[in-house]
Amino acid sequence: MKSLLNPRLIKNFRFRLYLLFTATIALLTAAFASFYVVTEVNGFRSTLEREGRLLATVLAQNARLPLFAENSEALALLAAGTARYPSVLYVSISNAEGRLLTQVKNPKDTGRGAIDMRVEVTSPGQVGSPEAVLLGHAPVDEKRVIGWVDLRLDSSEAQERLKKLVAATLAIGTLFWIAVSLLSYQILKRVTSSFNLLMHGIEEIGSGNLSARVNLDSDDELGRGANAINAMAASLELRELENLSLQEELLKAMKLEVQEEKKRVMARLIHTNKMTSLGLLLSSMAHEINNPNASIRFSGHIIAKIWADVVPLLDGVWREEGEFYLGGIPFQKARGALAENAAKIVENSERIARVVQGLRDYGVGDGAGLRPDLEVNAAVGAALSVLACQMQQDIWLKTALGNDIPVITGNQHQIEQVLINLILNAMQSFPDGRGEVRLTTRHDRVASEVVIEVEDDGVGIGAETMERLFEPFFSTKLDRGGSGLGLYISQYIVAEHGGRLQLSSTPGKGTLARVILPVGGGAH
Amino acid sequence: MQFLRTLLVFLLLLSVPLPALAYDILVLQSLREKGYDEAVKGVKRECSATMRTVVLSEYAETDITRMIREEHPRLVIAVGDRALEVAEKQRNTPVLYMMALHAKPHQSGAVTGVGMLFDPARYLAVFDSMGSKRVGVVCDPSKSGAYLKRAQAAARRSGIELVVREVHSPKETPSMLDSLRGKVDALWMLPDVTAVSSETTEAYFLFSQGERVPLVSFAEFYLKLGGAVALGIDRFDIGRQLGSMAQSVLQGTPVENLAPQPPRRVILKVNEGVLRRLNISIAGGG
Repeated sequence: MKSLLNPRLIKNFRFRLYLLFTATIALLTAAFASFYVVTEVNGFRSTLEREGRLLATVLAQNARLPLFAENSEALALLAAGTARYPSVLYVSISNAEGRLLTQVKNPKDTGRGAIDMRVEVTSPGQVGSPEAVLLGHAPVDEKRVIGWVDLRLDSSEAQERLKKLVAATLAIGTLFWIAVSLLSYQILKRVTSSFNLLMHGIEEIGSGNLSARVNLDSDDELGRGANAINAMAASLELRELENLSLQEELLKAMKLEVQEEKKRVMARLIHTNKMTSLGLLLSSMAHEINNPNASIRFSGHIIAKIWADVVPLLDGVWREEGEFYLGGIPFQKARGALAENAAKIVENSERIARVVQGLRDYGVGDGAGLRPDLEVNAAVGAALSVLACQMQQDIWLKTALGNDIPVITGNQHQIEQVLINLILNAMQSFPDGRGEVRLTTRHDRVASEVVIEVEDDGVGIGAETMERLFEPFFSTKLDRGGSGLGLYISQYIVAEHGGRLQLSSTPGKGTLARVILPVGGGAH
Repeated sequence: MQFLRTLLVFLLLLSVPLPALAYDILVLQSLREKGYDEAVKGVKRECSATMRTVVLSEYAETDITRMIREEHPRLVIAVGDRALEVAEKQRNTPVLYMMALHAKPHQSGAVTGVGMLFDPARYLAVFDSMGSKRVGVVCDPSKSGAYLKRAQAAARRSGIELVVREVHSPKETPSMLDSLRGKVDALWMLPDVTAVSSETTEAYFLFSQGERVPLVSFAEFYLKLGGAVALGIDRFDIGRQLGSMAQSVLQGTPVENLAPQPPRRVILKVNEGVLRRLNISIAGGG
């Protein structure tokens, strides 16, 4: 049933037509079978009634004289003779007044489904009285009812016949229906094959295969329709090819433009990141330089101030006692030189402060471009020196730098920047600010690659975060000054160098960041 | 106005019965019936007297009695039993009857005519010619008693035995016929309305068929039903026979001197098929 209700099957034209056809045949067969059964049963019943009426009429004819003479014995004999017929259940003869003269009952008479009939017994017509005959009176067909014959017929045979007839008709009707249905299926299959071919072709074309064609070779309406559809498909195919060509050109143009734009954006991003790193470095430097510098300047001022107070005393001594030496220098020379040096201390200290401020204000440029002799370990050292001031007391940095690492082609500042980003991330992965960061470099001779690994035993990275690590502006440390660009830029830089940046992490155990750079020089 | 008056007088004259013309014979006919008409034609053929024919079914009885009284016909011819019954109610005019099956001899003697039944000897001659010696008869003595006596007398003379079964009701006929089974070699059907009714007529033919005995009846009609021989009357000849009697009455012969006569002409008809099946031949048949 489910397969019958398959929507695809129901929407099938051939199936619908077949369904309609078979349903119509079934209806017609049922109608004809019903008509046949009804006609046959009525015919049988009519025959039975006719037979019964004939029997009753014969009995009435035979019983005429005994009935007129009221000879019950003769009537009983006649009735018994009639009752011997198998279909007769009951026979009775009564006179015109309704008095029963004789009756015979068949034991199998149940009274159900029987046919009752009554035939009158009449005096013979056309026979006049002797007087009328003598006088030559024309015979008058005047029949007088002198009694009645009642007959009951067994119609159970009709029921049996009806059952057999219905069974036979059902069987024949079903066979006929099946045969005609099969035949009609074959005919429909033949008739709709062209239609199916057309539909198949149309569906093939409709599904996008414009090179498909309807293979229908006929000159009827379907054939003409197929030709028209083929022509339309050919036209569409041509347009499609033109469209594809145009689209391809457009995509190329767009790709180029996007790549250019991407490079520009990335350059800006790198610059921004660099400025961020530089800002971090400079703020650190400013702090580290400005503090002693301020102390120096303060000391210079104090020295100058103290010296200004000490000079009158020393002038008095000079006047009283004469020339004396300070630091091997005569007082009169030292008096001026000390004041001058103290002023220089202050002046230079202020100069240092200005320079630091200048660096903080303007940052630095991107330095050099690509270098064919970039030493990875040197870049690592430079990065570590930049981060030295960021190193906290509770974080151990263990380095294991390979000795046989070949030079690569690359931008040292960019590589430094990548390393700074990765090491900073590792340092920030400890929830309590205590942990160990391992930095290793090695040379993979098989793959001809230089591998830099930064490993920590921090909190690790969750799976959800891992998926988005390289997205720009995605950061778990936005509230702590993160820009969300570090890894994104790092990946970009490494990719620009023809290398790969891999991150693997186990939440709760730590993270391993691996920078793989090709030895042969893959920088773009 | 003059025209209207003339029309009124004409209509009044039409409404008044015209006085009957003088005539010799008043023919009273029970019904307008073909058989009666044939007989009346026979009368007219034989008798040239003036006649007036009245069909009784078209008049009330009182009218007829008055008519006879006022018009004084010399003779009344009654055609049919009912006409005879009406005619007998008057005593002044002699009555001749015909076609009356139930006519009986009258004490007064002023009534005579031609009966419907042949002389029994005619029938007996037929039986004799067929070689039948035992002839079955079923009859009602009250209706056919007199005729039966004559028949029995004639039979005795002919050496034929009449096996008689009397019936008093039509219902008895079938059983009486049954009682004749194996006892007769011919059956004689008399025009007895008790013994032969429309309901029992076929019993005679069933008997004849079952017993393989010939049935001799009184009318050709019964040959179609299975009768072997029929001695039929000639109604026209009966009329002529009565016409002769009327003529002699008008010529002065007293009616009392004229005895009732049987029909003089017999029309013998046979059913060849029945006779053949019964292996019977009859002299002068057909």
